[in-house]
Amino acid sequence: MFKKALLALPVAMAVGVAGTAAQAEWQDPNDVLQMLLEAQPDSKYLHQSEMNIMMMPDNPALWLLDDGERLFYEERGPNNASLESCDFGKGEGVLDGAYVELPRYFEDTGKVMDFEMRLVHCMKEIQGFTSDDSAVSQRHGSGSDIMRLTTYIAHQSSGYEWNPPLDHPKEKAMRDAGEVLFFRRGGAMDFNCAACHGASGKQIRASVLPEMRNSQEWTKAVSWPAHRAGQDNVRSQNHRIRGCVWQMRHAGILPDTPVNTALISYWNDAARGEPAILPDLKR
Amino acid sequence: MFNKNTVAAGVAAFASVALAAGCAVADGNKADDVDITAMSAEELAEHLIFETNSWRDQEMQEGGTWRDRMTQDDIQKACSFDSTRNDLDGETAGQVVALAREQYEAPEGDIELGDWRKGAELADSGYGYRIGHNVDDHGTREAGGNCYNCHVMDSSVSVQGTIGPNLENYGAQRGDSQEIRQYVHQVISNPHQYFPCTQMPRFQGLLTEEQISHIMAYLLDPESPVNNR
Repeated sequence: MFKKALLALPVAMAVGVAGTAAQAEWQDPNDVLQMLLEAQPDSKYLHQSEMNIMMMPDNPALWLLDDGERLFYEERGPNNASLESCDFGKGEGVLDGAYVELPRYFEDTGKVMDFEMRLVHCMKEIQGFTSDDSAVSQRHGSGSDIMRLTTYIAHQSSGYEWNPPLDHPKEKAMRDAGEVLFFRRGGAMDFNCAACHGASGKQIRASVLPEMRNSQEWTKAVSWPAHRAGQDNVRSQNHRIRGCVWQMRHAGILPDTPVNTALISYWNDAARGEPAILPDLKR
Repeated sequence: MFNKNTVAAGVAAFASVALAAGCAVADGNKADDVDITAMSAEELAEHLIFETNSWRDQEMQEGGTWRDRMTQDDIQKACSFDSTRNDLDGETAGQVVALAREQYEAPEGDIELGDWRKGAELADSGYGYRIGHNVDDHGTREAGGNCYNCHVMDSSVSVQGTIGPNLENYGAQRGDSQEIRQYVHQVISNPHQYFPCTQMPRFQGLLTEEQISHIMAYLLDPESPVNNR
């Protein structure tokens, strides 16, 4: 009831409702953030931007929700179909809690898919879009269909605990490969992910970095979509991977590829049990 | 410049099995493709990197392809353990130091310091070797040293990182003898000689010897702001 009511309300009203619900249920993203801030008063990462914490109730990412909802239910594409028959893992059209249970194995494709991979799959298979259509080719920026849909769909899982399934052997395999990738040193400068995310309270220039072993820092770290204040755009998990890999001087990673999926499987597993902030606001 | 090995033996063996079975090569995560559950986590990670078309087809700034850049050399392999849960064991540490000493090329004769002002610019510059959606063009701008990303060197000029040790007054505390210069050259060029499996890149090959001499001046020249903090 709480959740349904919130979804029906305009955003401005929804953010005013104090969240007292259990952690496995929908919670306003700002309430989730406040809870994490209180739980870890000494976390430099969580507390690094007073400005962003202050801005959180007016997170610009929230303004993508209406467009995302319209794009989800609108009959679109060559097949003139909505995305209501898209199965994100919890049944056709079921969005509540779906985002935090990805990546997962999908019977219909026979592979483990991360959220963006699955969304693109549905837009192609159900709505008939092709890779050349801007609806699926444009992955980044608040003005893209993908980011509007991502923000709307992810928001339905705000406050739910990260809980990517590992029951299927392929899910476990991808998660474990993601762990290897996280620590795999390579590229022109020998970096791995742990170079920046293996210790607490470290900085790259002005950025305080989240520590992967601190699950309450890590849930914020992997809580994308998030509005990035410095870029004035809402960004995805895949965009974060692309940026990290670029900074690490590895090769140029392509979208919809299983290296992304494996890394996200590991990321989301490392945040397991912590509530997701969807959408978040980052520096 | 980059001392790369061939792809791990497990993956090579695996690829030949896949070929023998007549499996499709592209998109290695499909049901009709290879069985990812039959691989170890390490084999699967290598498979995902090398056999699933996950990278843009671009020429790397140092030459070669994405495959060359993503192929690990022996130091990268040895240092790919979970550093959050395991300490580097002594045997591996010894091997990494030996490998690093083998790779390192010492300059001939006495080491001269360059211009600390140029060194300061290089220490600040994070340009270079980035590739993918946005490519650093070394033809229009030289690669930098990225030092400020991780080290505080002169806290008065810019926001600097804390992943590595604070280097303020580095030369003021150590002097500027040939021995110190040799040591600093070794650490910048290939820090695994002293700090096996350090997070710091090996700059020999990434930067020119002249660039390294400027950064060394920034660290060691008594006139450098690093030594007047």
